[in-house]
Amino acid sequence: MNPSNPPQAGEYGGDEVSAIVLDPGYSTTRAGFAGEDAPKSLIPTYYGKYNADGQEKLIYGDDIFVTPRPGLSIHNPIGKDGIVEDWDMAEKVWEYSFTSRLTGAKASNPLHNGLNDISNEELPTDMEVESDEKPLADSPLLMTEAGWNPVKAREKTIEIAMEKWGTPAFYLARNGVLAAFAAGKASALVVDIGASNISITPVHDGMILKRGVQHSPLGGDYISSQIRALFKKNSPQPITITPHYLISSKTAVEAGQPPQAKYKTFPADKAPDATYRALLEERTLSEFKECVVQVWPGPNKLSATGPTGVSNEEMARSSPGRPFEFPDGYNQLFGADRFRVVESLFDAKAAIPDPDSIFPAPTQAQTLPELIKASLGGVDVDIRPHLLNNVVVTGASSLLYGFTDRLNHELMQLFPGPRVRISAPGNTAERRFGSWIGGSILASLGTFHQMWISKKEYDEHGANIVEKRCK
Amino acid sequence: MAAAADVRDMLNLPAEGQPRPHKKQKVVEKRPEGITRELYALLGERAPPIAINENKYKGRPKWMNKLRVRPWRMTPFTNGARTDGLVLNHWQRKHESTRPLAPEGAQMDVDGVTEEGKEDAPKPLEQEYTFAKYNIKARTPRRYNDDEYNRLLRSDDWSREETDYLMDLATEYDLRWLLIADRYDYQPRMDTEPDANAIVRAKQVRTMEHMKARYYKIAATMLAIEHPPAEMSEAEFDMHEKMQKFDPEREKARKDLAALQLDRTADEVREEAMLLEELKRITSNEQNFITERRELYSRLEVPISVGNTAMYQSSQGLSQLLQTLLQADKSKKRRSILGPDGAVASPVGQTPTQAGPLGRAETPSTNPAAGNKKGSISLPQQMVRTLTPAEEARYGVQHHERVTAGVQFRSDRAQKLTQAKSNVQTLKLAGALAELEIPVRLFMPTERVCKEFEKLIQSVNMLLDARKVAEKVESEIRVLEAAKAERERKSREAAGETPAKGDNPVKTEAEDAGNSGLDSAADASGAADDGENETPVKEDGAHKRSASVLSVVSDKSNKRQRR
Repeated sequence: MNPSNPPQAGEYGGDEVSAIVLDPGYSTTRAGFAGEDAPKSLIPTYYGKYNADGQEKLIYGDDIFVTPRPGLSIHNPIGKDGIVEDWDMAEKVWEYSFTSRLTGAKASNPLHNGLNDISNEELPTDMEVESDEKPLADSPLLMTEAGWNPVKAREKTIEIAMEKWGTPAFYLARNGVLAAFAAGKASALVVDIGASNISITPVHDGMILKRGVQHSPLGGDYISSQIRALFKKNSPQPITITPHYLISSKTAVEAGQPPQAKYKTFPADKAPDATYRALLEERTLSEFKECVVQVWPGPNKLSATGPTGVSNEEMARSSPGRPFEFPDGYNQLFGADRFRVVESLFDAKAAIPDPDSIFPAPTQAQTLPELIKASLGGVDVDIRPHLLNNVVVTGASSLLYGFTDRLNHELMQLFPGPRVRISAPGNTAERRFGSWIGGSILASLGTFHQMWISKKEYDEHGANIVEKRCK
Repeated sequence: MAAAADVRDMLNLPAEGQPRPHKKQKVVEKRPEGITRELYALLGERAPPIAINENKYKGRPKWMNKLRVRPWRMTPFTNGARTDGLVLNHWQRKHESTRPLAPEGAQMDVDGVTEEGKEDAPKPLEQEYTFAKYNIKARTPRRYNDDEYNRLLRSDDWSREETDYLMDLATEYDLRWLLIADRYDYQPRMDTEPDANAIVRAKQVRTMEHMKARYYKIAATMLAIEHPPAEMSEAEFDMHEKMQKFDPEREKARKDLAALQLDRTADEVREEAMLLEELKRITSNEQNFITERRELYSRLEVPISVGNTAMYQSSQGLSQLLQTLLQADKSKKRRSILGPDGAVASPVGQTPTQAGPLGRAETPSTNPAAGNKKGSISLPQQMVRTLTPAEEARYGVQHHERVTAGVQFRSDRAQKLTQAKSNVQTLKLAGALAELEIPVRLFMPTERVCKEFEKLIQSVNMLLDARKVAEKVESEIRVLEAAKAERERKSREAAGETPAKGDNPVKTEAEDAGNSGLDSAADASGAADDGENETPVKEDGAHKRSASVLSVVSDKSNKRQRR
């Protein structure tokens, strides 16, 4: 084997059939062509709804952030546990995700498509024929799902793909398995830190072990709620988040000083819905998470005492703080607090209490180490060491600074015997789109093409075939 | 140039007197590509040669332009591993052979493409799909039929339905037990057995071991049905044996142990690591010790020549000696690696290899002796302490009347005793020692052993002398007797004719005397040297055995005497 030679086409087993990979998540929906290294289309799963001229209008994609239309309300078709609740809207959002970027009007013969004609008389008739076509008529579709997706939801998914989108072939894969594939492993323990959920999925030989699948709602949104609780209790004054669309101008102020900004005001009948504001606040919060929030790197809990006798809290306080400026100009240095907001992912007792939050206080069983323990408890003892040796971390919220270090320490403490090795790609895109990339790999493999559920099979066996084939 | 002429024109200057030296510019060598004109001008006339490496796209080699373009086509294909004939499209290089020789021309080309597209569309490529061959399933045993099930596979624990379910799962998941156990979710049909029995079964939790045990039993039985054990191939038989011997209890115990091992606390793990470290340290120490000792041995081991040098006195013997010495030298270089076990053929055949270690065993006791020797000269040490005879014995202190210079080994002295003046005598001595099962080289040459050895050697020598004398006397007697018999015969002949009756007994007597060997010799010596101190007690025990060896010797001496 000469490493300087590229692999033969047959050697890496790729055979691209222009399949589309759709990875719907709670916060974002990823879609793209199989074989590419990142999804071409990345849209928020949220959609906007408003009334204009007496008609209900819907907006999708990044458009929802832009204009504060009167009465614009933001919804999410997917429930908090990652299972679709509103199927009609989910279908529309998903459809938007690939029709907006990936599939367009089909290119037809330039002699006949009328684009080169000087006089366009017969053009409308051609267009009529095209518009009847279903959006995915010539692309196989690979979709992902959570490991705990119920049978009904799976059947509904294939129904939409086959009947509404008209895909010739379909497959439904677990996102845990795909994340493992993206990391180059067929067996792994996938730790997925998403927006609405954190989940642990043991994968063996490319299949999930259902009894080991664990999930809890301590995801990115929960961290946001913790940050909100922190802001409420902030010491000089509680911090309110004012999104950008409400600021007309601002002036720089000293750290900790009240903001000096001119606000935009909307009359009650023109103002967007509260959900719109919440969505935009969330954007500020994710910026805050990216810039400020840090996970206590371990090797112990934040509340514990370090090896030198100094409590970890002390140590955290002594590290330099990080400044953050809010959209209204208010800025502040965040010290040890920035560790506290994520600590409850590992230590339920460290959660910042907030009676107004929609998240109930977490229990110890919901924390990451306990989830992993429970997950490993559900699988056979023979593969536990192997799983611990192949921990794959994925999901955008796992990009929190110091997260993998802490996870590593926690796992080493939980399982001092076996070797723990975490594989977490350093590349941000690979971490955020782990399951999509895995799907991209899978759907472009030559050997995978025998696994598609074809339209014919669907017609023969009905929606239940997804249970038999996508195990 | 034009600009200069214009300026002159405007300023009313006369036109150029001399034309500008055009030639000069032509002399200047061509500006290489990739360097700007201004920069090149700065370099002056005699610029050093510069190599300009430009990363330029080379393009494809020219000869490739002549090749025909092989276009890629989006072609439909079917997968042989599928049963439903799903047609998918992928890009593929168009095959030369399938392409009809279309006439050239842009207009025709478009037509050709569309035509081909129509041609290709209905019939996907006939050739086998490349990846279809990877569609393989694990080999599962043939499914039992009703009769076989009822006859052989009935079980109280497993219903027929559940067994079927298990077999289905095993096939579906290609015998990946982790997955089978994970997905196992058997719901007994309630409508057939609405009684309590069914509910009890539903509660039953099947572990992976249960499933494996059941499956292996079925698989083994089915294998045996297909091929009776007598006809099985080796691999099949092995598998059959393994499946039959599967013990779920043992497997379960193993897994429990594995779980225990996995759930150790940090302290336990640390302790284990510490113990392992300790063990490692101990073994490495031991290894070090062994290598050090080995090195020491190889340093101390100097072969001591004990054999006589007669065999090396011929030129042939000398060259042989040289050869062996060279050999020994070579291997000595490697000795540190090989250790003393890589035994070196000592140049003198009789040198025992254990000479070194044995000699060394006594060194601690000889050293005090040396110290004492010195002490006898230096007064202060003597004054420090005088040893009682008991202590002297205990510490092995000896007093020598005459001390030779240098170190000598006690075993050496003992060795010297075994070497007589003549070669024959030495051989005899060695023979006697071998008879007594005393090694030529003493195992433990302590003071007392050496003394005893000395005594023994003396008495052996004495015995040998005595025998020599005895043999001499005997042979003289024989000669004299023969002479006497001769004389008698003659006198008888002279006296008159007497029958040769008395002749025989005499002869037999003589023969007896010759054959009896040591028996008579020992007797004779015992008789001859009465005044001697008693022979070693062992001598009696070895009496019978020594006869054979000594008889040979005596025969030899007879011969010599005859000569």
